Amino acid sequence: MLSQLWDLLIAFARASNLGFGGGPAVIPLIKIEVVERYHWMTNAEFTDALAVGNALPGPIATKLAGYVGYQEAGWLGALAALIGVILPTALAVILLARFLMKYSNSPVLKGMLKGVRPVVVVLIAQTAFDMSIGSFPNLITWGIALGTVVSLYWLKLHPALIIVLAMAFGLVVFR
Amino acid sequence: MKLWDLFIGFTRASNLGFGGGPSLIPLVKAEAVDRYKWMDNEEFADSLAIGNALPGPIATKMAAYIGYKVAGWLGALAAVLGTVAPTVIVVVFLGSLIMKYSNSPELKAMLQAVRPVVVVLVAETAYDMGKKAFPTSSTWGIAVVTIALLYLANIHPAFIIVTSMLFGWAVYGRTKK
Repeated sequence: MLSQLWDLLIAFARASNLGFGGGPAVIPLIKIEVVERYHWMTNAEFTDALAVGNALPGPIATKLAGYVGYQEAGWLGALAALIGVILPTALAVILLARFLMKYSNSPVLKGMLKGVRPVVVVLIAQTAFDMSIGSFPNLITWGIALGTVVSLYWLKLHPALIIVLAMAFGLVVFR
Repeated sequence: MKLWDLFIGFTRASNLGFGGGPSLIPLVKAEAVDRYKWMDNEEFADSLAIGNALPGPIATKMAAYIGYKVAGWLGALAAVLGTVAPTVIVVVFLGSLIMKYSNSPELKAMLQAVRPVVVVLVAETAYDMGKKAFPTSSTWGIAVVTIALLYLANIHPAFIIVTSMLFGWAVYGRTKK
């Protein structure tokens, strides 16, 4: 039990501390820990976790930590994963504020962030690709994807609303 | 009183922002600058710059920093709890429902329909971030090398992230712009 909590804390701390670009940049790294390294979830289960997370407001990284941590080890697991995701960077921002303020405009830091951004984009695109495997078992699911693109870009529907609509659609069509 | 304000202010921002931490930034600003006047616009911009210099979720970093500035360590705790606790409790509750009913045909049908949506949403996140990530052709080079390392060499992303930052330091870090 203790080692499981420790694994959760370390896995989420590692994902959080390598993700540059806020919570969404952390998603691929969480997936690597949860699906590939520790095998806590399958690809499909992780996709479901993201669906639930995206249907709710608030930061995505902490919602994933709570969800995965709870499923693995109950409330203590959720707490361990949350501490891992939040504590190191929250402490750093408080303790290093003066130092970071001085360097937040430095060309060195900007250069480093410029270098890492394309990597983050590729990692997120890879996550989408990985999750697409198994997500399109029939033609209707392709139709849903197309409908999602139309809803997002032309109808400007809210992502949370699209998730709820898709679930209602599935209930009627796939059952 | 201040602690309660911090908790409520960040709870409100968190529960009105869909789309992950970055979508909360304007809502946090509305609370910290406009409503409670904990800081002015410039200080808020500084706190954002500090947060962006570090990895990890942006919403909790801003909560910790602003909470600490307003009311010390307890303030940081109150703001982080406000940001995280309400949505985590709901997500855990929904998650346990999914576990409990994982064999029900209704739930399976709903999840089958929602997975393509999630794939599109994640792809859209990549696309959105991509708009700002490729100002020069060498940044495209970084992306190509990343794909090659991931798929052909099976290199761990952590290594690629650190290397790309060192590369950025060496190549982009010296020029003024």
